[in-house]
Amino acid sequence: MELFLMTLVTGIMVGGIYALVALGWVVIYKCSGVLNLAMGEMTLLGAYISWNLYQSGVPFILCVLLTMIIGVILGIVTERIFLDRLIGQPLLSVIMVTVGLSFFYRGTAMFIWGPSTKTFHPPVFPQESIHVGMLSITPVFFWSFLVVIALLIALMAFFKYTRWGLSMQATADDETAALSLGVSVRFVYAASWSIAFITSGIGGALLANINGLNITISHLGLVVLPAVIFGGLNSIPGAIVGGIVIGILENMTGTYVTQFVPGGIKTIAPFIFLVIFMMFRPYGLWGWERIERV
Amino acid sequence: MSRVWLPCGHYHQSYAKDQGWWQTPVIKLKMLLLLGIVLLGVPLLLPGYWIGVCTMIGYTAMGALGVQLLIGYTELITLGHGAFIAVGAYTSTMLVLHFPWPQPLVDLGLAYPLTIVAAGLISGIWCVIFGLPCARVKGFYFILTTIAAQFITVDLILTQYVSKIGGRAQSIKIPSDAARIGPWAMTGDVKPYLLMAVLLILMVMVTANLLRTKRGRAWMAIRDNDIAASTMGISVFYHKLLAFFVAGAMAGVAGAFWVSNTSAMSPEHFPWYLSLKLVGVILIGGIGSIHGAVFGAAFWVLVGEFLQMGVLPLAEYWPNVLMSFTFLKTAVFGLIICAFLNFEPHGLAYRWWQIKNYFNLWPFSY
Repeated sequence: MELFLMTLVTGIMVGGIYALVALGWVVIYKCSGVLNLAMGEMTLLGAYISWNLYQSGVPFILCVLLTMIIGVILGIVTERIFLDRLIGQPLLSVIMVTVGLSFFYRGTAMFIWGPSTKTFHPPVFPQESIHVGMLSITPVFFWSFLVVIALLIALMAFFKYTRWGLSMQATADDETAALSLGVSVRFVYAASWSIAFITSGIGGALLANINGLNITISHLGLVVLPAVIFGGLNSIPGAIVGGIVIGILENMTGTYVTQFVPGGIKTIAPFIFLVIFMMFRPYGLWGWERIERV
Repeated sequence: MSRVWLPCGHYHQSYAKDQGWWQTPVIKLKMLLLLGIVLLGVPLLLPGYWIGVCTMIGYTAMGALGVQLLIGYTELITLGHGAFIAVGAYTSTMLVLHFPWPQPLVDLGLAYPLTIVAAGLISGIWCVIFGLPCARVKGFYFILTTIAAQFITVDLILTQYVSKIGGRAQSIKIPSDAARIGPWAMTGDVKPYLLMAVLLILMVMVTANLLRTKRGRAWMAIRDNDIAASTMGISVFYHKLLAFFVAGAMAGVAGAFWVSNTSAMSPEHFPWYLSLKLVGVILIGGIGSIHGAVFGAAFWVLVGEFLQMGVLPLAEYWPNVLMSFTFLKTAVFGLIICAFLNFEPHGLAYRWWQIKNYFNLWPFSY
């Protein structure tokens, strides 16, 4: 029972990071219809940038803020240079441009920082585990989860109460109508990439604190895909729920299934789940079912 | 797009002639010349290293042909085709090394050719299994199942369970004389190259012929609009699965060829990067054209080689360049894919077609 609860709590906390990155993914998809396969490499860039800042003596909170600012700049630049011409092109072009971007980011990050594993030194979070009842939680998970929750609330408030967030919502709902009401859709596209860079960068930095920083961080970009499919591509609450569910699933598999099926089942489990889930509910829990006509 | 302008005085009088491969004697002559260059010129004239490069081009092109069939002709976007190459490669390796072949077959050197066929069949069936979700899902959702195919096949099954023979997740040694065709063991540079050339020519012919049949036209109808195709009486599900089988079989043959060109089989030869690379290859070459797959493969491999040659002199001043050359190459290819999508969306095949047409009427193009 204790093992089960521990696994569950860890799953929820790791799932929080997945949820954050999944949110960034869904924002891009809702605003511009781009299916982004470069998310993992965006987390890689964000994680390396924040590591670099932290190693040069900047306190971690400031690191996070600076990563956000650099993320905004990178997002705008990426959108303007690579994606501006391709909005509304066939699915394959849009997906492959993100694949090209992912090659580019991955190659650049590895070229600059090298393939060896980096750690945050001195450790950002305290080492002693926190005891809640019979549970003991590693503080890295706990603080990461708090950061994630804070960021999620901030983003929700941004979408709901600011002018920019509302214009993004309008574009996601109906692009033509938003254009006719004077919303700058180009701004919205750039903003959505910026938000994705922010969420993935922070998610990457937090995960790097947990696991150490190397190329495997970009696996986050793949785990996000089952999460968004589970919640439905169009749904922001769906992305958050999906992220947490995938986190729980991954940890549960790691605890209970690995002994029967040794090897890398923990990382593959979300994909097996994805294939089975899609057979029964291809549009996710809250996604829109698209009706096609000739 | 791929239609060639005919010279003055040539007219087609039947549909069969219109669909013919060699529409004028000159084209037939050019193709024979090309065949001569591929089968005789390259192995006799090029140094060994560049023959190896040509082999890589052919291997990439063989993989890309299956992807071209799925993406360019049936609009089934697949980002996991490397998995099926891996299945073919492992089938062939396992059969060559562990199957109790009767001695006469081994003496005749038929074991390896038979495993190529078996690899094609098994890989095709494996591809059909992962193609089954196409009955219910389309577009991005379907792409995700192909990604899942890659991870389930290569990262789980092959890495953890198949390669375990001889240690967990290790490479399987292939003795240099294991791959034998007739009296020739596939060693050195030239023999794998010739095997590649023969297989690639066969596969191009099979693809080109398939596209002229009823099945091929059905695939193209599905590509253009699958709902309209189903109203015309084409069984969309059946034809999609057929496309998966053919594409998977091609990948399997490509993988089985890889056995002859490597000394150890390892799951690291088939990362997700390979699957993405194959799609990048057909994007660069041109979607919906067979020679696009070959052009794209040649472009991809040659750019990598020239990049390496260009970087070598820099290494004296900046040793880091050579150390992380793979990463530099990845970054450059990413930029190339983005640039092609933005500036040359029809790919190299379209440019080739334009150049050919220009010289068709040159110098009096009016």
